[in-house]
Parts: sequence; structure tokens; C-alpha cells
Amino acid sequence: MEEKTRNKFWRPVQSLWREHSYIFVFVVILIVYVITIEANGKTFTSGHLSSILSSQNTVVVGTMAIGMALVIITGQIDLSIGSALVLCSGVTVVVFNLTDNILLTVLAALASGLVLGAVNGVLVAYAKIPPFIVTLGTMLIYRSLALWAVREIPSSVSGSSSSQFAMESGTRSYEWLRMGFGTGSLRIAGFAIPYVSILFLLCVALFVVIAGNTKYGKVVYAVGSNDKAARLAGVNVQRIQASVFMMTGLLVGVASLIQACKVGNITPASSGRSYEMYAIAAVVLGGIAMAGGRGNMAGVLFGALSYSAIDFIIVSIPALSADIQDTFQGLVLILVILVQTAGPELRERFGSRRRRPRADAGSAAPASTSG
Amino acid sequence: MRILEMTGISKSYDGNRVLNEVDFSVEKGEIHALLGENGAGKSTLLNILAGVVPGDGGTVHFDGVPYPRPSIGEMEKAGVAFVHQELNVVNDLTVSENIFFNHELTNSFGLLRRKEMIAETRALFQRLGVDIDPTRKVRELKTSQKQLLEICRALHARATLMILDEPTTALGNDEIEHLFTILRQLKSEGSSFIFVSHKIPEVFQIADSYTVLRNGELVRSGILAEATPFSITSDMVGEQYADEDVYRARELGPVVLELDRVTSTAFRDVSLTVRQGEIVALTGLAGSGASELMQAMFGAVPIHGGEIRAHGSRASGSIHAFMRRGIGMLPTNRKENSVVPDRTVLENQYIAEHNLSAGHQWIHTKVELEKYEKLKDALNIRTQGPDAAITSLSGGNQQKVFLARWLNTDADILLLDNPTQGVDVGAKEEIYALILELATSGKTVVINTLEIPEIQKVSDRCVVLYDGEVVAVLDHDQINEHDVMGLSTNAVNAARGA
Repeated sequence: MEEKTRNKFWRPVQSLWREHSYIFVFVVILIVYVITIEANGKTFTSGHLSSILSSQNTVVVGTMAIGMALVIITGQIDLSIGSALVLCSGVTVVVFNLTDNILLTVLAALASGLVLGAVNGVLVAYAKIPPFIVTLGTMLIYRSLALWAVREIPSSVSGSSSSQFAMESGTRSYEWLRMGFGTGSLRIAGFAIPYVSILFLLCVALFVVIAGNTKYGKVVYAVGSNDKAARLAGVNVQRIQASVFMMTGLLVGVASLIQACKVGNITPASSGRSYEMYAIAAVVLGGIAMAGGRGNMAGVLFGALSYSAIDFIIVSIPALSADIQDTFQGLVLILVILVQTAGPELRERFGSRRRRPRADAGSAAPASTSG
Repeated sequence: MRILEMTGISKSYDGNRVLNEVDFSVEKGEIHALLGENGAGKSTLLNILAGVVPGDGGTVHFDGVPYPRPSIGEMEKAGVAFVHQELNVVNDLTVSENIFFNHELTNSFGLLRRKEMIAETRALFQRLGVDIDPTRKVRELKTSQKQLLEICRALHARATLMILDEPTTALGNDEIEHLFTILRQLKSEGSSFIFVSHKIPEVFQIADSYTVLRNGELVRSGILAEATPFSITSDMVGEQYADEDVYRARELGPVVLELDRVTSTAFRDVSLTVRQGEIVALTGLAGSGASELMQAMFGAVPIHGGEIRAHGSRASGSIHAFMRRGIGMLPTNRKENSVVPDRTVLENQYIAEHNLSAGHQWIHTKVELEKYEKLKDALNIRTQGPDAAITSLSGGNQQKVFLARWLNTDADILLLDNPTQGVDVGAKEEIYALILELATSGKTVVINTLEIPEIQKVSDRCVVLYDGEVVAVLDHDQINEHDVMGLSTNAVNAARGA
């Protein structure tokens, strides 16, 4: 009897842990954050949550991480997204400065992202160069193009000095873009939800649906799980491999719009540095297997939130400098993966020792196991 | 004098006896052919000899020394070398580095004495008449050269008994002749060989004596001069056992699948017509081109000449294009080519259909579940449910899911490549019954298999391939194990030639 009720409670928790462990990861990190805030003598409010939800690491890196997740699910990798982000933001700013048109600016961001993603996709899928090599190459190319362009383009177009792209301020469309894709927020019942967070959540929701409820999504997983079997079931494996890079490109376009509008300017030499690595970290914290074929797109949301929350924890501890931030993020990343990989192994080792006598008891009285 | 004497060797896997009190011996300086159908127990016997798997009972004497529990290292040291079918050479090292692999010559600093190794390799090759540059990378060698390299490596390690597991499958005729010349020379120098082959003519060409195994039992052992290809084939297939007969003659429809002088790298000029509701079996040993022919019918390997027509219209291009013409293929090697391991039973069943209906992207789970239930009942698939992991199913049930994958697309021409591979006996019978049921309901079935009883059981016609060409097309009444085996090993021609 006792065992039964215990199972009733633990079974769902266990299956939640197995399939959605990224939620636990986020909850644990959040609890640590609450503790550090309380320890500083402050109280944890909804404002803290909303600042996690709208931080650079969540909205910019998180949006790109959605694409990275798709790429990783197909068993590939994209190292170019940080550089692509800068180049796309540059294009976005320049188009805005030239046209002062909201629609054209948004289209420029998306189109430039799509083109950069397509370059990666075609080289990987059709020229059959390993994705690591292709995107390592384009990582170098995209950033250096941005660096070169910002020097060459006259400052009346780039909007600033020779090291920055800056949006020309003062017009109504400037205000609109800065609010809509940057600092503005929606107020509902006393809560302020930043527009960029809503945009990010919409992107996550869209891709959760694509991955889980469309045939395209199923095929993406199949290609990552066993590309040979997928091919023999009629899947155009190359097209799928290319398509995930193009999806990523589009999402980089969205992220670059946010990046540009949030600050109003972009510095090719320093903006978006290592963002590809942060995105991979968010994907991994989101419980998506690096080997491909496995993982839930919703994990990316929690992965990105977890990653940002670690940032906030470190900032809130006055004794720690910002320089040490990456150390902690690295440690947490390794720790989480260690728990996920070592956990089942430990369970097997100690669990089997416990389970064996129970299995004997079960075979002696099979009725007790049913119902 | 006997160099090897194995007596009373037994072995069971999971209570399934694969070797039963088998005696096997090899004389010094002879080439001994070990023969038997797939699953007769040859590999297990050899693996016990080489120390790869432990035997359950029996004794092994090599060179007069008893080996109660042979291990790989022990048998290697004693002078037994196993030249595997899938060659175990290191592609990224040079020829001489492979010869000296793991016992390299080094100086007192631990550095390699490369020049000496190359010279020694060259001397070894010269003695054997092998023409390979010792400094070349193994990757650049032809398969036949790799084969010779492995034999040379074994010799260099002072092996006195070499196990050659189907050494000729990947070789051309001239290369086989060259290999045989070298084997004869080594034999005259006192080396002994165990020669495993499915090709009866070459067994008569090269071997001195033979042993036939069938279903894990020793059937006969003797010298080849006293045997004929016919007697050996009979020993291999044994008494015809007729278990439950599922075959029924059926009314056939119009021609739905035509091959017109189809040619690829693996087969030549194959023409074939298949009628609706018919079950045609392709058979042939590895290298005969039967499996490649089936893949070509699905667009999975390209053809270089000829034409494939389904329902009267030409099929060419991608797999997807063949699928649109109503063709589906259950590939061989289920784990590698069919299983999408991280996905559920339902997703595995639907992957092909999703491709054909990609114009409508949204998935209607309710509709899919209904169809799943229907196919699950029709094929009697035993699973814990549509959301169970595909890997949680037994081999037979997985295979049924992959059959359902094509029934789900309403494919009416089903190509089944080794459909009962790795499937237990009970599930095999179920699959045979299913194939006949499908044909009765109007599906056209082409199956490629090496198991002759399987062909007898289900097929209306049997197409036998040898060396890339169709050598015979047999009607159901003409299909018997002896003839099919004879044709696919080319024993027929060997007898005629002798």
C-alpha cells in the first residue's frame, strides 16, 4: 500500500526528470538566485524575473539558440552565429539609416540572416564540407566583413565613427524600432513584460510547434538520429541539413534586429563575441543531445533562462568580479551534464543491487505487481 | 601429422545450441575447406579456435599442445592467424608499418628502425611473389592487395595455421589466381590453411580436404578428390525438411514492374518482369549483385544503363521519385538502415508517409493513431504503445513496424531485402504468412534472401544471380535447395567443366 502511493507521487516526477530535466536545472539555479538576493538583504520580486527574461543572454542568445538547437538535433553545429549577428546588425542599421523605413529594416535583418545561413547550409549539405569547418570559416569571414564595412562605409551611412554602426536617432521610426525591438514593454495588470521577451517567447513557441507537430520537425529529428534510415525512407537528407542552417539564419536575423534596437548601435569588434558558444551552452542546458536526434525545443527556453540566471547570480554577489563570470558558467555547464550522464550510470550501479531481490519477490507473487 | 585437432566442441547462445559435439582437424601442410550454409556454425567454430569466444565443451590441440581455454593472445602466439572477411588492416599506416604492427623494430631511444622494417618487408614480399611497395599507404591498395597484406602479416608473425574467411568474395578472377598461387607455395613450405568459402568451384580448385557442417553438427569430413560438387551441396543442405507449408498458388494480375537490361557496377543486363500479386525472390551470394539490384529498383543505388518501369512509366532519380511510383523497400541490416533509434514506434512507422505527404505539414495525431492501430492489428505488432521507443521492441516486431512504414504509404510494390535477418524462428513464420497475405491482397513483392527454405516457402519465382548476372529463373515447383545452392555457388558449371 505504502509503496503504491509513493509510486503515484514519484512516477510523474521521475518521468518529468528524465524527459524535462532542464526545468529542474532552471528551478535549482533560480532558487540559488533567490537565496543570493535575500542574502544581500533585498527581496525577490517579479522585476527580477522580468529582467532575466529580457536580458541580452536570454533574448539575443536565446533566439539564436533556437536555431542552434535545430542544427544540433540534425547532428551538426553552427559556429558562425555570433559573427553573423554582427554582420546582420550592421546591414540592419545601414538599411535603416538609408531608408528610415521600419518594414524595410525588418526585412533587411531577416533577409541578410537568411542569406548568411544559406551559405552555411549549401556548403555543408551540398559541398559536403563538415559543418564545423564551414562555420569556422564563415565565423571568421562574417565578422571580418563587418569590421571592414564599418571602416569603409561613410559615417553618414554607418551613423557613427569608424568602429560602430549606429542608428540615426530623432525620427519617429527610430523611436518605434527602439521601443518595439528594444526597450519597450507591455503592461498587463501591473506586470511589465518587455516586447523583446514576447518576441523571444513567440519564436520558442513557433519552433516548439514546428518540431513537435509538423512533418518537417519529425524529419529533422530522424536525420539526426539515423540519416541512413531517413534517406531510405525517402527523406532528402541534404535539403533538411541545409534548411536548418537557413532557419538559424532567419533567427539570427531576428536576434540582430533586437541587438541593434536594444542598444541603438553595434560594434563589430566586440559585439556578439562568443555568442555561438553561449548558444551551444543554452542548448546543452536545455537537455538537447549534442549527438543529435534527441531533445525538446522547449528546453531551449529554460536553457537560455538558466544561462542568464547564472549571470545575474554572479553580478549580485559583490565579492565576485564580472571577469569570473565565465568560470561559473563553465562550471555549471559541466556540472549539469555530469549529473545527467553520471546520474543514470550511478542509478544502474546502485539501483540494480537493490532491484535484484525485489524482482525475485515479484516473480514469487506476480499478483502484487499488477494493478 | 595433424596440426590442429578439435574434438567434441559445443557452444550455445542463450540456450540455443549452435555447435553440437563437433570434431574438426587439419593436417600439416594442407588447405582444408570448411563448408556449410549460413548459420551452420562455421564462424562459431573458428571463433572458438581463434580464442574470440569461449567454447562450452570439447578440447583444442594445436601442434600437439592442449589449449583448455584458448584466448586470442595465446592462439596468436601459438601460430593461429585469422584473416577476417572484413580486413583488419590499418588504412592510414604504410604497408611495412602494417606488417610490423604491434611488434615494431625500435632502437634504444624507442624510435622506429624504419629502413630495416621496409627492407624486411620487401624481402618477405619477394619470397612470396607479392608485388606491393612497402612504403605505400594501405588506403591506396586494392582489396586483393590488402588481402595479401594480411596473409603476409600473419606469416611474418610466424603463423603456421591461417584461417581465411571467404577470402575471394571481393577479388577478380586474376586476383584469385594470384592468391591461389601464393597459397600453394606456402602450403608446399608447410603452412596450413582453413579455407571458408561459399563458392564450390574454387573449393575444388584449391582445397585438399573438406569438412561440412549443418545446423551445428558435423556432417562429413574427407578428401576432396573423393567428393563431387553434387555430393558436397547435398551434404550442405541435407534432407529436405518440409515444415508447415504456407504457399498457395494465386491468380496474378498485369505486369507492374519491368526491368529492361538494367546495368550498374554490381550487375549487368538484368531484365525481369513482375506481375501484380506475384512474389519474386532474388538470391545470390555476397558479390552476386542481388542486394544491389534490389536497391536499384528503389533508386537507392544509381544505374548506368537500361530502364526500370513501374506501372508502365519510367522510374528514375531519387528514392522519393520511386516512392511516388508506389515502391517501398525494407532494407537489409535493420539496425543500420531502418531503425531511427531516438524516436517512437509511431514516428518510425510514419517517417516515409510524412515524406510523401509533405505538402500538408500539420500532423493529425488522431488520424495517425487510428491508422497505427489498424496496421498494428493487421501485422500483429506487439508493442507497449505508439509512444514506446522503437528500440524497446524485439527484432521481429521492429521489422513489422518497418513493413508497416511502407503499407502506410500505400506502396503496392514491396521490395524486401533480407526481411527475416536477425528475426527469431516464430516471427519468421509470421513474416512469411504476412508476405503471402499481402500478395493475395494484391501487393507485389520482391524479396532478396540467402535462405533457400524461405524462397521455397513464399516465392512464385526465384531469380538466381551469380557474379552480377542472372544465371537462372526458377518457377515455384522447380525451386529446391540443392539446385538453388548449386546455381548460386556456380557448382553447376564446375561439375560441367570437370
